[in-house]
Amino acid sequence: MLAALLLPLQQTAFAQWSIPDQLSKEQAEFISSGAAIKFVPRQQLEHEIATRDAVSLGHFIDDLMALAAEMAYDPQRDMGAAPLNLASERFNRGTLPTPAPLRDFERQPGPFSVHRYLFPRSGVPTFGGAKVAIWPEDLVAGKVDVAIIGVPNNMSSGRRDAGSGPNEMRAMNTIATPDIQTLIKPLETLSVVDYGDFRVDILSTERTVGHVTDMVAQTAATGAIPMLVGGDTSMLYPGVKGVAQMHGAGSFGLLHLSAHPDVERFSDHTISDRSALFQLLDQGIVQGKETITVGLRGPAVDVDTLQWLRGKDVRYHTMAEIQHKGFEKVLTRVQREVDNGPDRFFVSIDVSVISPGEMVAAGRRTSNGLSIDQATRTIRHVCAAKDIVGFEITDMAPMLDLSRLSVIHSNALLNACLVGIAVRKADLEPDYVNPLALDHGQR
Amino acid sequence: MGSDNMQKHLFVLCSLVLATFSVAAEETTDTPEHVIGTQAYPFDTADPRVEEEEPLELPDSIADKLELLAPDEIEFLEKGYAGPLKAIVEAVEDFTPQQVQAWVSAMQQVRENNRYVEGRDLPNIPFNTESAEFNAWRLQRPRSMDPAREPGPVSLGRYDGYGGPPTFGGFPLALSKQDLVAGEVDVAILGAPLNMGSGWRDSGERATADLRLLSWPMGGHDQYVQIEASEVLTIADYGDVAVDNNSTERSMRHVRDIVREVAETGAVPMIVGGDHSLEYPNVAALADVYGKENISVIHFDSHYDAWWGGSHLISHGYPVYRLINEGHVRAADYIQVGLRSNGPDKSGFEWMREQGMRYHTMAEIEQRGWDAVLDRVVAEASEEGRKLHISFDIDVLDPAFTVATGTPVPGGITMREAITIVRRLCAESNVVGFDLVELHPALDPTYRTTLNSAHIVKACLTGLAMNKEGLTAEHYLSPLASEHALDDYYGDQQRYLDATKAEQEADEADEADESE
Repeated sequence: MLAALLLPLQQTAFAQWSIPDQLSKEQAEFISSGAAIKFVPRQQLEHEIATRDAVSLGHFIDDLMALAAEMAYDPQRDMGAAPLNLASERFNRGTLPTPAPLRDFERQPGPFSVHRYLFPRSGVPTFGGAKVAIWPEDLVAGKVDVAIIGVPNNMSSGRRDAGSGPNEMRAMNTIATPDIQTLIKPLETLSVVDYGDFRVDILSTERTVGHVTDMVAQTAATGAIPMLVGGDTSMLYPGVKGVAQMHGAGSFGLLHLSAHPDVERFSDHTISDRSALFQLLDQGIVQGKETITVGLRGPAVDVDTLQWLRGKDVRYHTMAEIQHKGFEKVLTRVQREVDNGPDRFFVSIDVSVISPGEMVAAGRRTSNGLSIDQATRTIRHVCAAKDIVGFEITDMAPMLDLSRLSVIHSNALLNACLVGIAVRKADLEPDYVNPLALDHGQR
Repeated sequence: MGSDNMQKHLFVLCSLVLATFSVAAEETTDTPEHVIGTQAYPFDTADPRVEEEEPLELPDSIADKLELLAPDEIEFLEKGYAGPLKAIVEAVEDFTPQQVQAWVSAMQQVRENNRYVEGRDLPNIPFNTESAEFNAWRLQRPRSMDPAREPGPVSLGRYDGYGGPPTFGGFPLALSKQDLVAGEVDVAILGAPLNMGSGWRDSGERATADLRLLSWPMGGHDQYVQIEASEVLTIADYGDVAVDNNSTERSMRHVRDIVREVAETGAVPMIVGGDHSLEYPNVAALADVYGKENISVIHFDSHYDAWWGGSHLISHGYPVYRLINEGHVRAADYIQVGLRSNGPDKSGFEWMREQGMRYHTMAEIEQRGWDAVLDRVVAEASEEGRKLHISFDIDVLDPAFTVATGTPVPGGITMREAITIVRRLCAESNVVGFDLVELHPALDPTYRTTLNSAHIVKACLTGLAMNKEGLTAEHYLSPLASEHALDDYYGDQQRYLDATKAEQEADEADEADESE
């Protein structure tokens, strides 16, 4: 005789599956509980149940149950942690700031130029050609508004070369070009420095997180806005966490421009690009209702993920919304959400948000996406409308773009926020456009 | 205060690998060889190359500068932690006693902060053991999920092997040990997309995919020796092994399991793709099958990869040391070819010499010429009783040939040299394993590097086929292909004519045997 069992499935009508009653109780339960769906697509499972004889189906289900038994961690079988060399004499090498008595020649604190010439055209590359600062006292002495910092973590789950991002963005010196909307030259309005790189452990994001968090917090404590240049998107986690250590968890909003939601909930790792936003939300470092994410699409966006985001009150705006409603309407909606949000914002750009046509070097590139123009308008608005507590641009892998256009565009995205901050400092409206730029004025 | 001397001293301090005692690696008893749970690494981790220096004798002339130093601070200087005596004397010259004290105390602080401190530093890299999908990355698809088929390698092409998805060399696909056994597979080519090397990182799934796309040379006819490997050997594409590209350490054990699975069938595992950390699980797996200290390794690389002493226990700079440390391979059974990177320094070379490791640097090749070194290396590798694993890092080649590698170093060997030595080793030695690593395809839009990598694999396949056919004479080349013999230009025309004739007769005899 055959027994009919129901599967608890969300999207579709329950399938009525006839499965042979020779199956053991455990086997039948395994199927009826829906546990098998994790390992084999529903459609195929239906097919197997309908077409296999009892013996063959029994073997098949045993195999699936063996997979289920092997899926979770077993301390007798699995490595629960990667061991380290505790006898190492350079266990923390790389993350130790040089103590004062061992530093270079004495100098007064404050940002300094790396150039010989007053109007340099080349030389040591820095972000936007800005002066260099090394220590927090340099930031304080220079009353620095914005410290641009490289975080060359190189562990993207996509193509890997984001570790080269900071230096390529320095070398392609296009940050701080005057903005055509406002005609503002951000480096003339703001005190901006290249604050060097924060050190990463190239073999472990986990070991990188602590140091980067501390350094971001230390930077924010000087009053400067940390603008982080990744590096892969796992660095969003220590970036925001470090800022929260200074300003308070949940005290600011987060605008996350990315194709990828980065809210993987079941990861076997404690941190990665795929789970950076999940960690921030899960630990209450940012609040869901004050988190806006724009540009979602691609492999990680599925029903479960969007429902989870909804459950967390996250304001998400997928490419479906943008394509259906039109960008202008969505931009207006995002701007309203920003304007009605908290006074302070952290802005995060995973360059995958941009269409690959303009950002072929995105480590996790995904077809479709925003244009540079759309993204820069969004960024400039939030950076002009709110007090920015931190900014981060991540996952640009320069080796994927021989033309280096992706680097220039990444600089433009960063520059959009610098301009926004300058607009705010000049007490102009967030979407201010200089009339000179708007109209030639001739009759 | 400050001086450029201090900067120098800090550098000396940081680069001095500080004293630990030289202790031979000992496995503690009853600990599993694989690290499980959150157990620490069950082998000694101290670097024996770091030796305690003779204490320095601080001269009386600087005694007044040191008058404020506490006994432990004096001892710090005497132990050489602040650098050699000359540097100390020079540094303190310009300092007041207060400044000297601040200087020494800062260096002590650096030294202390550099080391692991319980409670302050993470002792390991914890994974999320709560994850319900902890092992999803390495779960294998049960055979019962696909329609039943007889075990054995499956050809994916509709037209006599052609027209299917790309496999290595167009060879049939095997996915399990049963496939290898049933198909009596001689060589299983396994992709390993480990993407954790330093330098440029692009050795992930693109590396193994691109190598499949451009792998048509593999197993093809070899003009030099007039053999087509795929006619002599049964070769299979063994798919890719799963790796965790967020943790090299975690990937090691699974790679070792899969490579062992291949070796247990008697097939030669050929692992291609990813970063050079892979040498560790590859050779450890061979040692699992053939016995510890029964494997010799020839390591082609511009780097010696026996670094040690950092906070991690595996990276693409460590595999050689870790294999020796865990007792899988004796250092004396290691042969290194092509070294030319910044390191090792004198202490590294001294260590290799003490351990009996044979090294053949580009300096030796520059001095002796390639042909002499080639013969020497092949002779060493072919010594009686050796079971040989070849670990071929494509950065041993000059970047002109393999620009798409993570850590290229100019001044390397040429493709012509590499093809010859790999073919000879695979023909003349007893090769039981081979890997080709550090291919990073995005760095080379011309595909040259990938194609050259495929030709290195081909050279070994050709050699293995020669070995099976008994063509193991020193530096065999086809007499027919290497000399037209229409005149006596080199004075040895007859020898080539005779050899050609002998081969023709042998071939005819073989054909007659087969037809009987």
